[in-house]
Amino acid sequence: MPAAALNARLVLHQVGDQIINGLTLGMLYILVALGLNIILGLMGVVNFSHGSFFMLGAYVAHDLQPHLGFWPAIFFAALVIGVFGMLFESSLIRPLYRRLPEYTLLLTYGAALIFEQFVRWKWGDISLPSQTPSYLAGSITLGSFEVPLYKDVFLVGITILILIGVWLLINKTNVGMIIRAGTRDAEMVRILGVNMPLMFTLVFGIGSFMAGLAGALAAPVYAIIPTLASQWIILTFVIVIVGGIGSFWGAVVGGLIIGMVQSMVELIPNLGPTMIDLSGFMIMAIILLIRPRGIFGVEGLFE
Amino acid sequence: MMKAPPAAKWWIDLGLIAAAFAILPFLMPGGSLDLNPFTGHRLPFHAGFVDLATTILAFSLLALGFNLLFGHSGELSFGHAMFFAIGAYVSALFSKGFNVTGTLCGVGIGSLQLHHDAVNNLWISLILSLGLAALSAWLLARLIVPRSSGIYYAMITLASAQVIYFLAFHCSELSGGEDGVQGVARPSLPGFPVDWLSQSGGLHMYLFAALITFVAVAFNYWVVRSPFGSVLHALRENRQRARFLGYDANKYRVNAFVLSALFPALGGWLWTYFQQAINPDAGSVDYSGRVVMMSLLGGIHSFVGPMIGAFVYWDIQNSASQVTRFWPAAPGAVFVVFVLAAPEGINGLVESLRTALRRRSFNETARETEDAGGEVLP
Repeated sequence: MPAAALNARLVLHQVGDQIINGLTLGMLYILVALGLNIILGLMGVVNFSHGSFFMLGAYVAHDLQPHLGFWPAIFFAALVIGVFGMLFESSLIRPLYRRLPEYTLLLTYGAALIFEQFVRWKWGDISLPSQTPSYLAGSITLGSFEVPLYKDVFLVGITILILIGVWLLINKTNVGMIIRAGTRDAEMVRILGVNMPLMFTLVFGIGSFMAGLAGALAAPVYAIIPTLASQWIILTFVIVIVGGIGSFWGAVVGGLIIGMVQSMVELIPNLGPTMIDLSGFMIMAIILLIRPRGIFGVEGLFE
Repeated sequence: MMKAPPAAKWWIDLGLIAAAFAILPFLMPGGSLDLNPFTGHRLPFHAGFVDLATTILAFSLLALGFNLLFGHSGELSFGHAMFFAIGAYVSALFSKGFNVTGTLCGVGIGSLQLHHDAVNNLWISLILSLGLAALSAWLLARLIVPRSSGIYYAMITLASAQVIYFLAFHCSELSGGEDGVQGVARPSLPGFPVDWLSQSGGLHMYLFAALITFVAVAFNYWVVRSPFGSVLHALRENRQRARFLGYDANKYRVNAFVLSALFPALGGWLWTYFQQAINPDAGSVDYSGRVVMMSLLGGIHSFVGPMIGAFVYWDIQNSASQVTRFWPAAPGAVFVVFVLAAPEGINGLVESLRTALRRRSFNETARETEDAGGEVLP
């Protein structure tokens, strides 16, 4: 085979690998961003602790795995974080609803500082080893691609199933109807007789559950370290801004775009590491210029 | 919700602030006796605590700038440390010089050579720091101010600050990467000995910083009491109504943003010569968040609040870090309690205490009047 053709195949292969990586990364971004976005859309709460819930999900799953096995540990870790999120909302965030929404951002920022130190205290500063069961550790061959079984097949598949579930919850159930109506006008929904405080707690629980689930699913793939929360939360904000506040498809498309772009720019020679960190913000700037509300954002929300 | 600024005489306010700056090095915890490393004289304070006082001044500037937005115009910028970093890096690179060939930020720049020799001039460095911070603030404000407000604005400023952080982190040929710029010489002041700023165990540096900070504080004081400041207050209370009165809200918001970026840049400029080094942390979310915490701890609706907050914050950080390596949880916990229970900060607590005392003395007077069979005010 001529050298040029071989080279072209190599590049094609790298691009294919990065597309698969981007898809996996994008799926995790979607899970985290969707949880944040539902909370933000309905309650106007910018939850800075959302990244901490993601991180705690990873740590709790890591601790539960020796006792419960791989899959149950992931589920129960997410459940623990979901319940914890409900307690967090009803005790600390609820008193702030009468004030400006900025104060919820401030409170959850302070809480995130505490969570990070708690994790350092409980699990230490160094990253924990990942524990993928042996039957998931291998990879399958797809044409000429070696695809890691857990990272790119199970993780993506499970995320798609969860997304379908969340879509059905939002669009086909009574709870979802209240969430959609509340995103537009929470006051009106309250007047119609819906117990909004209970609804808020429930939705905060669902959002936290998703963050915890994403963390637990990400644990075998990414290093579990105490700075995980601060690394993820800002990118999650960027995804929400790009996709549009309060929108299901906004979180999905925003997460995929950022995940894909981040893994594609890795291929740019020399510039790779810089671009991975900066590309998300560049996309945010472009979106702000051409469509300030985000791709699926509703005009006038949180003006 | 907001009280009108009390009609205190300006010279009393500024005089009190000047007095506070004068005694700040003596206020620091553990003010034990220490030897002056240069003259061997005993100082009535610990050299390390003079440095802490200088740190508080630099962060007071950062918090004052931030509060011009949050406290006075009602907009939460969660990325104000980016201007601190810009001011610090510009002055560090200007004073130390740089020489970049080949690549910058991972991009090949061909035969282009970025070269600058070390310059020992505080004032050109000051003008450059403030100028570049103002320029970047103006560009950013033009992008985000017309397109966002409220929590959206907070999220976008937070994300924007990360750009500065990552640029400082990755453009290591210029910025020194993770280690930052180190070994920046303290410049000489005209008419003073060459190493004057480094003498007296940091006390001279403190005096210099206090003088600069005081000028900036006076300027900030003037701004918030000027007609411009009144428009900002109007925008905070009701933007719609201010617009109906004919004020171009976005123009004022952009100008406020640029103005508010000058104070952090000045703080960063001081910080560089004080620390003689700078690293990307200066632009991190961590620093931006600290500023938010300081302002709220002191009280955002009070002029001196952010400065009191800077003092309290560093007190907490300094005490906690001597006890545990998990010290960031301490300011975090104090902050959570304040957000929940005392959103007007220490200033608000003092105010409500004063109101309570006044009410009690009023009630006592009323009771005495009642006992005497006199008229009682409703």
